[in-house]
Amino acid sequence: MLLSVENITVHYSRLPALRNVSVEVDEGEIVCIVGPNGAGKSTTLLSISGVLNPTSGEIIFDGQKINGMNPETVARAGISQVPEGRHVFTTLNVEENLRIGTTIRNDRAEIEKDFKRVLETFPVLAERRKQSAGKLSGGEQQMLVIGRALLTNPRIMTIDEPSLGLAPNLVDRVYETLTELRRDRGLTLLIVEQSSERALKSADRLYVLRSGEMQLEGNTADLQDGEKVRQAYFGFEEGTPQEGGVTF
Amino acid sequence: MDFAIQTIISALSFGSFYALGALGIGLLFSVLRLINFAHGDFITLGGYALIVPSSAVVAAALIGGFHPVLVIVIIVAFVVILALLTYFLIFQYVQNSSPATMMIVSFALGYTLQNIVVMIYGGRPKAVNLFPELTGQVQLSDGVGVQILQLVIIAVTWILLIALVLFFRRTRAGVQMRAAAEDFRMARMLGVRGKRLIALAFILSGALAGIMSLLFVTQKGVLTFEMGVPIMLFFFIATVIGGMGSLVGAVVGGYAVGIASVVLSAVLPEDIRPFRDACVFLIVIIVLLWRPQGLVLKKASQERV
Repeated sequence: MLLSVENITVHYSRLPALRNVSVEVDEGEIVCIVGPNGAGKSTTLLSISGVLNPTSGEIIFDGQKINGMNPETVARAGISQVPEGRHVFTTLNVEENLRIGTTIRNDRAEIEKDFKRVLETFPVLAERRKQSAGKLSGGEQQMLVIGRALLTNPRIMTIDEPSLGLAPNLVDRVYETLTELRRDRGLTLLIVEQSSERALKSADRLYVLRSGEMQLEGNTADLQDGEKVRQAYFGFEEGTPQEGGVTF
Repeated sequence: MDFAIQTIISALSFGSFYALGALGIGLLFSVLRLINFAHGDFITLGGYALIVPSSAVVAAALIGGFHPVLVIVIIVAFVVILALLTYFLIFQYVQNSSPATMMIVSFALGYTLQNIVVMIYGGRPKAVNLFPELTGQVQLSDGVGVQILQLVIIAVTWILLIALVLFFRRTRAGVQMRAAAEDFRMARMLGVRGKRLIALAFILSGALAGIMSLLFVTQKGVLTFEMGVPIMLFFFIATVIGGMGSLVGAVVGGYAVGIASVVLSAVLPEDIRPFRDACVFLIVIIVLLWRPQGLVLKKASQERV
């Protein structure tokens, strides 16, 4: 297992945001965590990246315990996160944004090769190389942050809601790119997504997280009819309201 | 005409001095959200390092008596080390606290430093004659004389500004610092080492303070333990006017405050002139009412986590 999150509990001040959550990602896999708003998806990714510190449980990356490490050390170990809301550096131009991605590397020749490769993958970034990153459109910014994360040469990339705020055709484009990256360079991906349809379409395996607890885990091939996922996602069967529940 | 030229040079030199001070504060604020009120006292300590530590009335030169190049190198290094020490001994323990907490810590540090100076050197002002050749006049044309030091301050400031621009545009660390100033957490998630970067900001800020010690002492010719306080107030106002968190803003604010002070002393009626600073502050209030976010808009204003 490349990355395994083992029974972590995470608190925001004293409120638990995650309870005994486990996630595993194997080399070369695309794994999706889906769940409604406030389920704890981002909390999971931020814990993996060392931004949040679990109160119990362990996070093991490539045989090494990484919980308790600070974000830069986790990044240097080979986990690159594209956080929610993209976080481009708007005061930097496109090229500078990408160069920040190479901070942890010293292999100059390889960096230049990867840099060219990213510009080939995202031609729009090559066109706007010297432009302020704040002036890019939402879709272009998403390409930029994925390119930037790629330049860290990660062993696993985690992405928080790549579809947020993007038009549907752009979302398709982003996922196409991600699956191509896996195919062409064996990139391992852990993606957080609100849409379970999207996850079922693109991932190998899927986790459903709700109210800070893991509800379901499985191969997307076995879950294609979507019923089980919906049930786990909403907490009850569609059309059968519980006491005081709401019908969707 | 002569008077105009002299006023312009004087305004530019004042503005340059304030711009350097505002930059020293802005550098730390941009990556750490720390408003370092001890910055003025760093400048004071750099000045006191020139003389022999004793409470004697007449100051004896220590570092101040060395070769000028050595004086510059040692004083700058001294203030840089002082700034770094304050980071590693104090500020790093509060760097995740609120900006208000950090600011109060810096106040406390500033008073502590002033009192350390009083303990070692005594509270009385001490005359110091640093780089006396710079306090002379140079004749620009017939009858128009300006102080050499004013031209030196302007030149030094512009050299430092160009150096800083090159640092922020061309070097890896500079680009990282700009990124961290905008979004510290994201920069760290990309592997930028947070502590190292903040330490670098303290080094740059300390180096500016060290250079300002030399300029300030040369100009004043006297050391007092409180001499950093009033200038710090102006630096702070300059950063606020320019727009907190923007380094371009700090420079613009520094020049705005410096030029306003000098122009006001030139044009105000004789009776009001003693209240020049009050007039400057009045203008500051008006500017802030007009543009609460400062003269230079910064693009990023996210809270750092």
